Amino acid sequence: MQTTPPKPSFWRNLSPVWLVPILAVVISLGIAWRSYNDRGTLIEIIFQNAGGVVARETAVRLRDVPIGVVEEVRFSGDLSHVVVAARIAKGVAANIPENAQFWIVRPEVSARGISGLSTVLSGVYVETAFTPATGSDVRSFNGLEAAPLLMPGREGRRITLRAADGNRLTPGAPVLYRGIQVGHIEAPRLIDGAEGVWVDAFVEAPYDMRLTTAARFWDTSGFSVSFGTSGLRLGVGNLASILTGGIAFDSVSSSGEPLGEGAVFELYTDEGTARSSVLTGVDANALRLTVEFDQSVQGLTSGSDVRYRGLVVGQVSGVSARVVEDEGQVKVRMQAAIALNPEAMGLEPGSGPEALKDFLATQVRSGLRARLAPARLIGSALVIELVDLPETPPAELREIPDGLPILPTVYANLPDFSATAQGLLERVNRLPIEGVMEQAISLMSAAEQLVSQESTRAIPETARALLEEGRKLLSNEKIQQLPGEAVSVLTDIRAILTSFTEQEGTERLIAALQSVEDAATGLTEVTAEVPPVLTDLRGVLEKVRQLKAEELVEAATSLVKGADQFVRSEDTQALSPALSGALQEVEAVLSELRAGGTVENVNGTLSSARDAADAVALAAKDLPALAGRLDRLVGQAEALVSAYGARSPVNDELLSALREARATARVFSQLARAIERNPNSLLFGR
Amino acid sequence: MADARTTQPVLTAREAGWCGCRECGRLNLPDAAVCTLCGMRLQKDPNLQAVWAWLAAGVVAYIPANLYPMLRTSTLGRQQDSTIVAGAIELAEMGSWGVAAIVLIASVLIPVSKFLVIAYLAVTVQRGWPVRGHLRYRLYEVVEFVGRWSMIDVFVVAILSALVRFNMAATIAPGVAAFSFALSVIFTMLAAQNFDPRLLWMTRGPKTA
Repeated sequence: MQTTPPKPSFWRNLSPVWLVPILAVVISLGIAWRSYNDRGTLIEIIFQNAGGVVARETAVRLRDVPIGVVEEVRFSGDLSHVVVAARIAKGVAANIPENAQFWIVRPEVSARGISGLSTVLSGVYVETAFTPATGSDVRSFNGLEAAPLLMPGREGRRITLRAADGNRLTPGAPVLYRGIQVGHIEAPRLIDGAEGVWVDAFVEAPYDMRLTTAARFWDTSGFSVSFGTSGLRLGVGNLASILTGGIAFDSVSSSGEPLGEGAVFELYTDEGTARSSVLTGVDANALRLTVEFDQSVQGLTSGSDVRYRGLVVGQVSGVSARVVEDEGQVKVRMQAAIALNPEAMGLEPGSGPEALKDFLATQVRSGLRARLAPARLIGSALVIELVDLPETPPAELREIPDGLPILPTVYANLPDFSATAQGLLERVNRLPIEGVMEQAISLMSAAEQLVSQESTRAIPETARALLEEGRKLLSNEKIQQLPGEAVSVLTDIRAILTSFTEQEGTERLIAALQSVEDAATGLTEVTAEVPPVLTDLRGVLEKVRQLKAEELVEAATSLVKGADQFVRSEDTQALSPALSGALQEVEAVLSELRAGGTVENVNGTLSSARDAADAVALAAKDLPALAGRLDRLVGQAEALVSAYGARSPVNDELLSALREARATARVFSQLARAIERNPNSLLFGR
Repeated sequence: MADARTTQPVLTAREAGWCGCRECGRLNLPDAAVCTLCGMRLQKDPNLQAVWAWLAAGVVAYIPANLYPMLRTSTLGRQQDSTIVAGAIELAEMGSWGVAAIVLIASVLIPVSKFLVIAYLAVTVQRGWPVRGHLRYRLYEVVEFVGRWSMIDVFVVAILSALVRFNMAATIAPGVAAFSFALSVIFTMLAAQNFDPRLLWMTRGPKTA
């Protein structure tokens, strides 16, 4: 009864709600496909120990940005390593080159600071560093145990340093340039077959511009205390370098040239040594060699010169012993590491160690050998000498893999210098230096006392005043009108003065004193003490003539004592005021003369002055004779001394006495010169 | 209703071609396509397409909800993703059996049983399997009632991620699964809603008639 309407077609009957599940499926599939497609590349990193790495949690980071997650941590087949499988974002994985470095970042507390602190809470992560390379399909890498000191992709320069030991060279210790950290060092490693260690250092850009061949490196770790002529010097580096060690460098000269590849520098123990090393000239291009000796190397130290035909061409950088097996025999050989400077050897500037090595190899074939040689005539210090000996058995510059080439040597016959030196020192030691010195000192102090007396010093002043007066008198019109007598007087005076000037050394003193003595009447009384001294001298001379040595010595001693007494005697000390008084008297006479104005007076005075001048001339004539005699005495005494031989105490005494006499004379001559200097210039008007 | 079974067979309104409106309950004449009172479109044939469609969508959405992480927890820089089941297992391992049970019931047991129940009901209606008492209707009522409680998981995630935002110390963010789980719940609720419970009785008609 009821007609069912025709059933609509399947499609027409379809509810639009079906779109929802279809959409859901499409979206789900889309998401699934995308997450599959985006799934990173699986790589494997092999670690010794994967402490803290958790599967599906530990991130792999590049420059601290996560690029993947560790998916699995498992052992390698033989359980010797840990294999960490990680999924790395697709785009990144294709750029990881074979030499990519992976390491696990863990919290680390060291003297240089604390690093990886964030991992304390968040857990460790795997950090990677590499220089991107496109199209890489390497999927297995070796992990590092610790963060690499040199991050790939960092701009800078890598250099190698040679140090005596690796004591304070901690990996990662800073490289400082004027106190600023510009890089770091890596772990030191031993040099095979020679003293010292190599240590690589990395200097970051742009500081690597500071590295030239003129750069010198030194160790700044800890404190440095040096004591020298400039006093005590205490050097303290920065705190980190005190704790971990560190090295600093600086350009020691402006003539540095850019570095080539694989530059090697010497690491000096302190800044002073480093800076002074410019002079010794071990530079970055130096060729390092080993020299082996069969004989004692006592006196050869690190820093000893290496010479070639007398020229310093390098330096010894270390000396050590080495056991070698030679034709079945075990021998101990002394080994010295040396550094040769190519430029010093005459190669072109900028030549590298290789060029020098080639050069040396040919030279060795034609007879170049190393040999020990004394550094100085006296002393046991040694240097290494490179000598050309064409007659020696042929040898080669021996190359050692991983070590320094060995330069062949010849035996050197070294004299025993130490014995000779000792004998010399003993002889020097036996000389009675102290006694002589004491006497000399006492004499000198007495002389000094005399000279420094005020009245002595006043003499030149007075003399000058006197001469001033004289000059005024001479410029007086009336004087100029005086007859030729006056002129002759003046000529006489000039002659005296000329003889005065002509006299030299000791003679001048005595002449001056004698002239003044004779010129001024008052003076004669005071200087009565002088003639006895001279008489003594003459007596000495007499005795010397008779060659009575003992008496001579005694006499010489008494002469010296007399001289000493004379110098010390109050009379002598009073001589100066007396001299001044005499001069003042002359001055008074002259002023009177000027004031009086009578020709008679002048004439009289002039004649008396002439007499005085004549007396002075006479005395002056006598004095050189006296001085000559004194000189002869000295000469004879010296002859006597030589006759007695080099090492008699008598002689020494005599010589010292004579030397004292000479010294005294020198003091007087100085006094005379002081008196003479000003009058001269005033008298001649210039 | 109990004595309805004992009564003599009568001509039902449906057999007479009349159709009741789902919205206002008005009985419309057989030729009416739209309810004369409220203007709602009348559903004369047992159409389960919408139910199946929503159900399918719900199931599809439920798959990523379980595969992807529900919560993304960052504690002191350590990030952890946890899916629903993994979270429940973790809770159980930590000893919180109660919470683990609630999570499992709310986000696994209930949705899965909902799918099954709705599918079962729809199949029975389509195939016209005989009704055994009120079982199917009760099932339907339970599904309707319990469906919204599935959202408890989504609420937990929403509240947690709103509350736990201590930057470095701890942060909780909803994962992809939270979104798809919510969608799944919504789709199943729609499926349940689209299921016309009268169909349960409709199938009974021809058999008893």
